[in-house]
Amino acid sequence: MSGGLDWGFLVKTFFIALSGAPTALAITVVALLIAAPLGFLGALTRINKIPVLHRLAQIYVSFVRGTPIIVQIFIIYSSVPILLTSLFAKFHIQADVYKVNPIWYAFIVFSLYTTATLIEVFRSAINTVNKGQLEAALSVGLTTVQAFRRIIIPQALVVALPNICTATTNLIKATSLGYAMSLQEITLKAKVAANVGYNYVEAYIDIFLIYLIICSLVEYGFKRYEKYLRTYKTVNA
Amino acid sequence: MNQYFDAKYIFDSIPVLIPFLKVTFMVTGFSVLFGTLFGFLLAAAKIGKNRWANKMAHGYTTMIRCTPSIVLLFLTYYGIPYLFNQFGIDLNSIDKSVFVVITFSLQFAAAMSEVIRTAYESVDKGQYEAAVSVGLSSAQAYRRIVFPQAFVVALPNFGNSLLALIKEGALAYTIGLIDVIGKASLIISSNYNAHALEIYLALSLIYWVVSIAIEQLFSKLERIFGKGKQALKTV
Repeated sequence: MSGGLDWGFLVKTFFIALSGAPTALAITVVALLIAAPLGFLGALTRINKIPVLHRLAQIYVSFVRGTPIIVQIFIIYSSVPILLTSLFAKFHIQADVYKVNPIWYAFIVFSLYTTATLIEVFRSAINTVNKGQLEAALSVGLTTVQAFRRIIIPQALVVALPNICTATTNLIKATSLGYAMSLQEITLKAKVAANVGYNYVEAYIDIFLIYLIICSLVEYGFKRYEKYLRTYKTVNA
Repeated sequence: MNQYFDAKYIFDSIPVLIPFLKVTFMVTGFSVLFGTLFGFLLAAAKIGKNRWANKMAHGYTTMIRCTPSIVLLFLTYYGIPYLFNQFGIDLNSIDKSVFVVITFSLQFAAAMSEVIRTAYESVDKGQYEAAVSVGLSSAQAYRRIVFPQAFVVALPNFGNSLLALIKEGALAYTIGLIDVIGKASLIISSNYNAHALEIYLALSLIYWVVSIAIEQLFSKLERIFGKGKQALKTV
């Protein structure tokens, strides 16, 4: 531990850790793609107060937001194999549940997590759009689906975008917990590399830098897109 | 499935786990204390006119926001003893909770600086000017006029940050702190990894109840402190 930083190791591990970035990003994208429609439907049940579903969505959001994500990971990671074993036994499927790639668990955990966040994001965004907008759209003969697609969503999206950006960066950061499922992403790869010579300081500096770069890029991208949407809005006004 | 899952373990482990909430709350409390103090400094730098201080405070916030808690936690856990080691100071005997508090103070400060800044900016400048014009000193104007209004705005955001802190604090077990989660993993390993799911469910229930309680507390506080605001509006 004494002595200066091992710069050679620092540079080498940076690229090892970077090779985990595609996994982290793949999980982020898949989770967002699954969560977006589910979150939107969840938000609609909340807004329209659909009897049972609206309560379920509320409890679901409260649970996911009220418990640490690491605990959610633990729960999914220990419950899904049990469920699968009993299912496989029932249908006589010959497969070893413990050989499933952990990325599948990651997809489940992070999709569920993001769905809860997005339900709230979409709910608040749709609520900011004036009710008159929907009524006006319906009165000129649009169907509800059309009204949402052409009138409500474009307006709500501008409001939702900063929150979607936060949700995305939070999701990317949360993928660092994939190590608990022995998922080969940025953190675990660097950590494994560091285990050899106890170069933990260097490894964590690398991980820190990689997340910093990825999140800054994502934030920048969202800002650009938001600017684009906003100009689009003023031009139309 | 019956042989794997036994709900009895959920209820048996809750009383064992609850005393360890004390550790979680203690770490959270210190982090809130130091984080808020540091957050005030950062917010002052952001609001102030010094360009360098401004840039540094914003840079710090962006940096912290982009770092996963677990990375920051390990960075302080390995990095700080390493830095002190360079000067010949041995920190190996220091308690783990200190590193946890440092990490989450750093993180909470970044969140609080934004909470404080937005709250401060939400109070109209005319309020301060009016207070000074009727003869209050600058300190009095802040204490009696600006602060009470900013406080109401900051309250819900403070509550959210606190909740996030408690949830992120769950990661402290990774460096070996025995809080609720640390205790839960001890129980699990002493059971030879059997019935892990039940213990995790118990954990999630504990956190869920704590989160709901804090949420309720803050919405109540908001109602109490928001009262003056309503009265002012009607005048």
